[in-house]
Amino acid sequence: MFAKNLAVSLLLGAFMAGGASTQALAQVKIGVVSSSTGPIALVGIPQKNSVPLLPTSVAGQTIQYIPLDDGSDPTATVSAFKKLITEDKVDAIIGPSGSPNAMGVIQFVAEAGVPMLAPVGTAAVVLPMTEQKKWVFKTTQNDDLIAAALIDHMAKTGIKTVGFIGTADPYGDNWLKVFGEGAAKRNIKLVGSERFQRQDTSLTAQGLKILSAAPDAVLIAAPGSSSVLPQITLYDQGYRGKIYQTHGAALPDFLKLGGKKVEGTILAASLMLVLDQVSDSHPSKKAATDYVAAYEKLNGSKPATFGANVFDAGLLLERAIPVALKGGEPGSPAFRSALRDALEQVKELPATQGVYNLTAADHSGFDERGRELITVSGGKWALVK
Amino acid sequence: MTMAKLSNTARILLALVPVLAALPLVLPTYQITLANNIGIFSLATLGLILLTGVGGMTSFGQAAFVGIGAYTTAYFAVGVDLPPVLAWLGGSPWSGLLVGLALTLAVAALLGALTLRLSGHYLPLGTIAWGLSLSYLFGNLEFLGGHTGLSGMPALSLFGIALDRAEGLFYLIWAVLLVAVLVTLNLLDSREGRAIRALRGGQRMSESMGVNSFRAKMTAFLVAAAFASVAGWLYAYTQRFVSPAPFSLQAGIDFMFMALIGGVGHVWGAVIGATAVTVLKQGLQDWLPHLLGRTGNFESIVFGLLIVALMQWAPGGIAGWLAGRLGSHRRRNAPAVPAAADPLPRRTLPKPGELVLEVQRVTRKFGGLTANNNISFTVKAGEILGVIGPNGAGKSTLFNQLSRVDTPTSGEIRFRGHAINGLTARDMAGAGLSRTFQHVKLLPTMTVLENVAIGAHRRGTKGVVAAALRLDRDEEARLLAEARRQLIRVGLGDLLHVEAGSLALGQQRILEIARALCSDPCLLLLDEPAAGLRHLEKQALATLLETLRDEGMAILLVEHDMDFVMGLVDRVFVMEFGQRIAEGLPETIQTNPAVLEAYLGGVE
Amino acid sequence: MNLQIVMLLGQDGLTNGAIYALLALSILLVFTVTRILLIPQGEFVSFAALTMAAMQGGTPVRLGWLLLALALGGVVMDLYAAYRPGGRRRFAARALVMPVYAAVLAAATTLLPLDGIGAAAQAALTVALIVPLGLTLYRVFYQPIAGAHSLVLLIVSIAVHVVLVGVGLLMFGPEGARTEPFSDSGLQLGSVMLNSQTLWVVAVSLLLIVALYLFFGKSLYGKALRAAAVNRLGAELVGISPELAGKASFALAALIGSLSGILIAPITTIYFDSGFIISLKGFVGAIIGGLASYPLAALGALFIGQAESFSTFWASSYKEVIVFTLILPVLLWRSVSHKGAEDEE
Repeated sequence: MFAKNLAVSLLLGAFMAGGASTQALAQVKIGVVSSSTGPIALVGIPQKNSVPLLPTSVAGQTIQYIPLDDGSDPTATVSAFKKLITEDKVDAIIGPSGSPNAMGVIQFVAEAGVPMLAPVGTAAVVLPMTEQKKWVFKTTQNDDLIAAALIDHMAKTGIKTVGFIGTADPYGDNWLKVFGEGAAKRNIKLVGSERFQRQDTSLTAQGLKILSAAPDAVLIAAPGSSSVLPQITLYDQGYRGKIYQTHGAALPDFLKLGGKKVEGTILAASLMLVLDQVSDSHPSKKAATDYVAAYEKLNGSKPATFGANVFDAGLLLERAIPVALKGGEPGSPAFRSALRDALEQVKELPATQGVYNLTAADHSGFDERGRELITVSGGKWALVK
Repeated sequence: MTMAKLSNTARILLALVPVLAALPLVLPTYQITLANNIGIFSLATLGLILLTGVGGMTSFGQAAFVGIGAYTTAYFAVGVDLPPVLAWLGGSPWSGLLVGLALTLAVAALLGALTLRLSGHYLPLGTIAWGLSLSYLFGNLEFLGGHTGLSGMPALSLFGIALDRAEGLFYLIWAVLLVAVLVTLNLLDSREGRAIRALRGGQRMSESMGVNSFRAKMTAFLVAAAFASVAGWLYAYTQRFVSPAPFSLQAGIDFMFMALIGGVGHVWGAVIGATAVTVLKQGLQDWLPHLLGRTGNFESIVFGLLIVALMQWAPGGIAGWLAGRLGSHRRRNAPAVPAAADPLPRRTLPKPGELVLEVQRVTRKFGGLTANNNISFTVKAGEILGVIGPNGAGKSTLFNQLSRVDTPTSGEIRFRGHAINGLTARDMAGAGLSRTFQHVKLLPTMTVLENVAIGAHRRGTKGVVAAALRLDRDEEARLLAEARRQLIRVGLGDLLHVEAGSLALGQQRILEIARALCSDPCLLLLDEPAAGLRHLEKQALATLLETLRDEGMAILLVEHDMDFVMGLVDRVFVMEFGQRIAEGLPETIQTNPAVLEAYLGGVE
Repeated sequence: MNLQIVMLLGQDGLTNGAIYALLALSILLVFTVTRILLIPQGEFVSFAALTMAAMQGGTPVRLGWLLLALALGGVVMDLYAAYRPGGRRRFAARALVMPVYAAVLAAATTLLPLDGIGAAAQAALTVALIVPLGLTLYRVFYQPIAGAHSLVLLIVSIAVHVVLVGVGLLMFGPEGARTEPFSDSGLQLGSVMLNSQTLWVVAVSLLLIVALYLFFGKSLYGKALRAAAVNRLGAELVGISPELAGKASFALAALIGSLSGILIAPITTIYFDSGFIISLKGFVGAIIGGLASYPLAALGALFIGQAESFSTFWASSYKEVIVFTLILPVLLWRSVSHKGAEDEE
């Protein structure tokens, strides 16, 4: 009876393989892995929604995108990557959504020699650079770049002590580390660090703990709308010091959920939030404006920055593929290797998040043009002048 | 050896091994990756089958044990932050496996001691509680990489063979899984295995037969944890990266899904369930976008609906459904019982006439109700004492106190000269008291022979390891031979290998007597053994009891059938409303006015 | 830690504990009547909060369509039950009431502008959507297996939860939402400012607990519901079929869940998947109450609220570890003192 069952499952497997290979023949194949279900769906869904906006042809080559969902599960991410690599024979992969998910697949893309463009937060996917991480490119600003802008602002406005509230996840972990290191260099003291789960219904205790340390300012590091509750809690508890947010809060819902209680927040993020205020000479303005408009047309709402990170990966590929075509036919190891080399050579590429200048040592490649200091004023985002 | 002589397991394995061996040669790498995941999930689920399906203990914490195994493996394999004391362990896959196992078993023993005493719905909630605690702990420990996880594991290499590709790992994973299946099947077909199988619905019975239920629970729990830990070891080397998410409560729930979908009552259900869930999840992601015309997030919805549908149509899971369709025309494989096995050693029985049981002024109150009031009597070796009385007279309460299922409010019970206060039901079985139950307590899906062999539990000593490695065969043969001897003696010798649940009620009562005899008792407590028996069967039973008496057995008999009692017993003890109303020889009791009054309400 | 902090933490624990208590009571209610551990109880809470928020935010309210789909599923199952071989071949027209109700509500919530109708009307509409949801859930998912083994019931409960979370993600999206507070005022009590929403939560919880007590302890219908759990035949004799009892208990649980959702939506951010962890704590409360005692369950839930609040203050990263480890000895104590009630299954 088991043998029969096994035979059935083998047939199913074979059918699945057949189903995958009958898809339209494209010349360049790009896999996209996002977490559009599960706990980090808030990151993965805007990413998945951005896939239809990616360039569909470059230098006469059509590009086919194969989107997969890993359900926020690192094991499923590995399976999805292996499927894309061995079944679909993709030339590059954009994804995954989560930092642990990305850490888990680095060795497999390196072994297969497939470039991976990871729209994840943690710098650990590209730093310190190793033989394996050569295949990984990161399409978000490194946290330390954003943190530097915030710390700079703190130092300038005379803030000496800071409390930290972050999510109990990789995002919070990384921010605590990066911010702690950066702040110490500028003689800013971290006087308390509290953590919470995204779904927590009350942050009263964390707020009280921070309040009792009486810091000059509080930094909240949480992705998406979970960044709102800590700030509202602090406001309700009477805290009136400066509140800093990370680029995790850079989404329309932050203003909607926070209302007047988030007035005056300082955060550093890409220019996407303040497109109408940056000067037209900003190299990223056009790309960002086009992307936001196209996304809104397709999905009926403004995108969170997570989606833009995937879109930027498409722009990077658009720049690199024509170069890589000289190195080999799409679908061949030579092409993938050339694609990797070409990505590493991308210079001065204006994208939605900032300007990419990739080098062999820096696979993230943002500079100060990849962040703007933004505040909330009158219920709207405003550039800090 | 012909096919007919092989067990089902051996047949399945013989069919499976060449198929499995050929898979990596024909399937693409991605399918092998899936097969590896299936193997690892099957191993963890196998533990759940043993724990939940066989032992009746619902656990959602299995994923946490996989996590302990995986994290330990990764910690030692990466080997960078090892404290100096442990540095010599770094880098070797064996240290990850062994330390992981040791750590998992230690944690499991602690958690088991705390939660396995929980009953009913407390247990699953308890496992949810510590499952959550452990998975949150993984994310909070700095040296385990926090929420981001531990990366940079080298590929596995065993005995100089590098297992860095999915194909190599496939052979390792499935070899380990098949060994684990074999070990599980061996274990279940043994003395300890019967104790575990009796946990689900037969704990009071097996305790009275001398089985330590808690020990059996702990055994199942530790074996399940060990499987999980090894699964974690394999997982860590397959992924070469560990993070908290795969060991969360969600994953624990997924293992339970696999067990239930595969069929929680069947060992192969683990493999079937893990395969079904993995293939289904992949398949849904491939097919749903084609079916629904858009890429959505429908996979989890459809997955959940399919589980509900399966549970509504086939609550026994896929394996249960298959067994139901195939099982009706396929006989159980009968284990060979060598008749020539050395008989088990017997205890020294008391001499005929020696006092075996003394009950002195025993009173048992439940709140305001006095179920037994100041009861005193004795039973000697080689004597049958009949206890009679109308329904509600307190006979079963009395029996429960004698077998230490219940404790007297006051008074004393002495067995072979020793007070039994403070002893457990298990101790009484060991001391030579054995019983049957008014409401038959047997394990309906086990064979008659296996049911009876539970009675001989204390006469064997071989443990789990011996059972798993089949080092217990000699003793097992002696136990089964004893069970068969007793079954032949009570007249069920033709029914050794049928399921106990398929017997007629009268036969089930006789089975209970054989089971009681299997423990080599010197005092038998029989609770209405003749109920439901036909006339000829009653005669046979009477003959048997007389033989036992003549061999020196002391027998205490509760029975409603007056003809049966009066023709058989040496003395009669009559109770009504918890009181003794008469005691004496059968002939005098039959004419005792108080007894007539009690039984017939004075109407003659 | 000074007195003021203790007071504030206590107030926080009380607010959360009151919500957990409500959930514990509805879980207990469903369990005593049907033997089902209602894992999806949390989804009533999150769906209510998110539906209310969608109305206020002017985004489409899609819950009516889910209700309609379930109601139609129920009708199909009724038809199948009636006309399969051996069925009663009778199909009452009142079985169509639910789909019609659902269709009207779905159309109304889709077509009418809901952001301006006021919080009370929005809350009423939310309740009107969630309560029948509970009823249809029972019909479609649980009624066919009402007599099954408790492990099967548990797995189906978890599967229904998985389905609802998936549907929730589709209906409400991945981001969290919150609603307008009922009022902005507060109550000054010594040095501590009592949030008005906290008072609402505590007051409504108390009210519901008393109402439940009266319903089950005093009213004939409540007594009959309880009896249905113990003696199906007896309950049927007085006109309460197990199906009716099941549906009624699910509807009540959905009512309590939706009220809880409406109560906490203004004080926290609720996500499509927030329900599970909230109801898990309700479960802990119910289990501490031995799955039998309403007052003990409520006390247990309050205990969890306090434990959570204070352990978060003490070490916020280890909150879940501490809370769930603390439960173990409590469970052990309850299990030992409660021995025999569920001895042999």
